[in-house]
Amino acid sequence: MKKIVVSVLAIILALGLVACGQSNSSPGKGQSGNSQQGSTGDQIIIGNLQDLSSTTSVWGKAVTNGAQLAIDRINKDGGINGKKLKLVTYDTKNDVQEAINAYNRLASQDKAAAIIGPPVSNIGIALAPIAENTKVAILGSFIDERATTKNDGKPWGYNFLIQPSSVQQAQIVAGYTMDKLNVKKIGVLYNQANAYSVSLAKPFIDYVKSHGSQIVSEQTYKTSDKDYKTQLAEIQATGAEAIFIPNYIQEDVLAVQQARQMGINVPIVGGLDFAPPFAELAGDAANDVYFPNNIAAEDPQIKEVAAAYKAAYNEEPLNKAFIGYDSILVIADAIKRAGTPDPVKVRDALEQTKDLKGTTGIISISPKTHRPYGLSMVMIKIEKGQYVTKERYITKEQQQQ
Amino acid sequence: MTAQLIINGLSLGAVYALIAVGFAIIFNILKFSNFAHGGFMTVTAYAGFLATRFWHTSLLATLLIASLAGGLLGLLAELVAFRRIRNNKSPVIYYFVSSITLGMLLENLMTIFFSTNFYSYPNFFPVNTIKLGRLIIGVPDLIMFCISTLALIILAIIIYRTKLGTALRSVSYDLDTSGLMGINVLRIIQLAFFLAGFLGGISGVFLGISYTLYPQLGQMVVKGFIASVIGGLGSLEGAVTGAFLLGMVEIFLIRLVGSGISPVFIFIIMLLFLLVRPRGIAGSHIQEKA
Repeated sequence: MKKIVVSVLAIILALGLVACGQSNSSPGKGQSGNSQQGSTGDQIIIGNLQDLSSTTSVWGKAVTNGAQLAIDRINKDGGINGKKLKLVTYDTKNDVQEAINAYNRLASQDKAAAIIGPPVSNIGIALAPIAENTKVAILGSFIDERATTKNDGKPWGYNFLIQPSSVQQAQIVAGYTMDKLNVKKIGVLYNQANAYSVSLAKPFIDYVKSHGSQIVSEQTYKTSDKDYKTQLAEIQATGAEAIFIPNYIQEDVLAVQQARQMGINVPIVGGLDFAPPFAELAGDAANDVYFPNNIAAEDPQIKEVAAAYKAAYNEEPLNKAFIGYDSILVIADAIKRAGTPDPVKVRDALEQTKDLKGTTGIISISPKTHRPYGLSMVMIKIEKGQYVTKERYITKEQQQQ
Repeated sequence: MTAQLIINGLSLGAVYALIAVGFAIIFNILKFSNFAHGGFMTVTAYAGFLATRFWHTSLLATLLIASLAGGLLGLLAELVAFRRIRNNKSPVIYYFVSSITLGMLLENLMTIFFSTNFYSYPNFFPVNTIKLGRLIIGVPDLIMFCISTLALIILAIIIYRTKLGTALRSVSYDLDTSGLMGINVLRIIQLAFFLAGFLGGISGVFLGISYTLYPQLGQMVVKGFIASVIGGLGSLEGAVTGAFLLGMVEIFLIRLVGSGISPVFIFIIMLLFLLVRPRGIAGSHIQEKA
């Protein structure tokens, strides 16, 4: 009996190996055909690396849906140079190794012309040197500056950023807090174990100090902490006139609720994570919160894209959906200007992106940093649970850049 | 400032106490640490949340629904994950593996059904804070403290003043002998799982109210475990004492050395207990079967 079981297992295993071998060899056959790098037949492949099943899957799905919406629209208008676009998405599971494997598959097997990267900085940082060798560009929304520039300040050859970087965002918030809210004494509360949180807190503190205002208290916590009352009490005792809280959404909710519970009623400023559904989660505590957003909900173009998104997916688009949408616009524009889906030429064209009207603003990419420049952000205030658009804002330094 | 820290420490300790006691009941009887308890808390937190969303239940009704859901889940877990292990008299490590796997399963099921989005409970309280001079007391914290204390007192009455409680204690002392004495051991073990799930339901709702809902909510169970170790594994009084002590120590450590370093001190405290007084503060006689 045992022998029979063993031999059956052996046969299954052998069949499995043969099957794997076959599936591996099939792309090879495709390669020998007339397909050229960057396209297969009458299609242009655009890769998409997103988390679809893990902790950041809410973002991954939004980016993917937004990108697909833009592709459907471009294809409906006849595609690019007579070729249709096709989005090929792989799940990174928010894991660096999965993302690297998926990137290599997109580059070598799927022949992607360019790839949309995830809104997660550690994956962007890990992919940067790999993309430089493989030579297929990644247009990501990873805001940590190390994902786009090396330590010496020179850009990574094949990584590009589509939204303001962490430094740019932190400076925009710091500038707005000092100029428009007229605040001189600011407290900071951030998660020292989270790269995203740190990457916003440090440049914020630097900017405030170098522009004549004061950081009266700098408080930290770590990811597993749920109670920040002790830290908030320290900030409260210093008489801070505003608090900068650049954290992930759930920590934002806890921090803001606890601050309001303690009777801290000064303005709270922070990063993009104050966007919906923050106000709904935090309830009454959310009043008097300011943050920079990529989009203004009242903008007619946003309204139109949001309506199309809702019609297609039956849900309200998150911010990241517009990032996905704009990523396709930028890549399509680069392919058009390059005149070919060849990844290296597309990369060269991406570097020259200028004054492209996207949903998140006028996008120009700097060849020196591979990041957008002069891209203002929309300052939003939460009043009585509603998101109220104040104005588009950018610091003077960034405007001149 | 110090008085405020004590208040904050008590409110954190009350959460830990509920977790730790649910944990301790199972340890008391079956002599293993039920890491699926975190999963119970997560599931019940979502159950309570669904009740508020669809039936607009009051706080008490929400607690009741979540607790009953937790109790039923406890019974189901006993049947599916632990009964055969016990009947086969398998080594304790089997319980351990089974409970960790079950905890992971529950967490992943929640991720599949509710995605990783955050949800928050509606606001049950008309006023959120009470001010006594310079002291600030959060109303949710206060109510959590009172209900937790009440639940623990009722539990103590059940255990020390009722026939069922006597049976529970005798089973915890010796499973086989109490069976020979005519106690229905299976029923008693089911009761223990029901009670643990019931308490898990209360802590689940309060965790949800305090910290919003997300699938990894149950990972707070580690704090309950540390509290149990400090207080004495398997001792209910010890679990409560350990929990309040842990809450207090954490809050003061954050004030004194900052949040980043405080786990180092918590770890040292736990190590000291394991080395110097492994039976914890309560000094309970129970040891894990090996």
